[in-house]
Amino acid sequence: MKIMWGGALAAAAVLASGVPALAHHSFAAQYDATKPVEMKGVVTQVDWTNPHARFYIDVKDERGQVKSWNFELASPNVLVRNGWKRNTLKIGDPVAVTGYLGRLSPPQGPIMAIASSVTGSDGKPLFASTQQDLGR
Amino acid sequence: MNRIITLSIAAAVLSASSVFAQQAQAPAGGVRRLGGNIRAEGGSGPVPRTADGKPSLEGVWQGGLPVGDIAQGMRGEKIPYLPETQQIMAAALAKDDPQAQCLPVPPPRATPYPWRVVFTPTHGFFLYEMYDYRQIFMDGRKHPPLDELDPTWKGHSIGWWEGDTLVIDTVGYNGKIWLDNRGHVVSDKLHTVERYTRKDLGNMDIQITIDDPGRYARPFTVHGVARLMPRTDELLEYICAENNQDLPYLVGPRQ
Repeated sequence: MKIMWGGALAAAAVLASGVPALAHHSFAAQYDATKPVEMKGVVTQVDWTNPHARFYIDVKDERGQVKSWNFELASPNVLVRNGWKRNTLKIGDPVAVTGYLGRLSPPQGPIMAIASSVTGSDGKPLFASTQQDLGR
Repeated sequence: MNRIITLSIAAAVLSASSVFAQQAQAPAGGVRRLGGNIRAEGGSGPVPRTADGKPSLEGVWQGGLPVGDIAQGMRGEKIPYLPETQQIMAAALAKDDPQAQCLPVPPPRATPYPWRVVFTPTHGFFLYEMYDYRQIFMDGRKHPPLDELDPTWKGHSIGWWEGDTLVIDTVGYNGKIWLDNRGHVVSDKLHTVERYTRKDLGNMDIQITIDDPGRYARPFTVHGVARLMPRTDELLEYICAENNQDLPYLVGPRQ
């Protein structure tokens, strides 16, 4: 697991700006823009749900310890209009993810974060979140 | 608890279908996208009209009034806050946002996602992808006396045509809505007047006048423009309360 605290991070797959689309909730209240994260993991669960789609990944650190993460995506209607299907991410897929750490996470549950980019095993970046979802 | 619900939903999805056995497809291209996510081309051409000569507002529309901050849609005006209004806004927490709780977001906050208008001879219906409908009485009736109206999230709306402009007058709000993501609050004295003018095939001018002596010193008007989406686009489903994991993790004030 590689986490970049406060490091510079280019968010790929964020397309051109224009008419705002909605974040269902305040970015800044839920995520910390000063704590970008970057990691590779394996998909363990996909929630094709509203108000946000989510995917869960298991990430192994240098010592072999596995931690689970819960990444927020845009809502399915936005994802579909950006080329996603509900099976775009599948359990077992290896993914590279960038995003921002949640301010809170459940004590026993996966670590909460929002995805700013997701890249599947084919190396193609997928749309992940709108600019507004990311508080920009 | 949320985790259990999440797992249950995911398990149901997984067991109910073979969706994860298929291959992903590349994003569709060739259509101009707005906001990096929603496509809408607008387009020129004459205003379509109904049999009675009125403008038809048919089609699926994207955008309109500013959902982020109503101040972005004001022309030369400033929001005339009452002093207590700014205090209420400053004290609001992110989790207080009706939208974070999947509660109604009527205009001017209704259209982050596409929407459609349907008219019958007596009613107009606004269908908002996020995530509700409104009914507009177009049969000439007036508002009931305010003391006979049960306050509601979306209020009591009557509509009529002024030339080519659809006018919608709404009272009877319960005072619980926020006008935008910024968190502009209202009282139950809120009275709104919306004006929808289809300028050509693909563009609709929209105004809403906010008249709320409980929160603002005088009425003010917010402007926006909606664009027609391609005919191939339809409204999609957005069931906000389905898996709303966010609420327990919203920390601090609305930002």
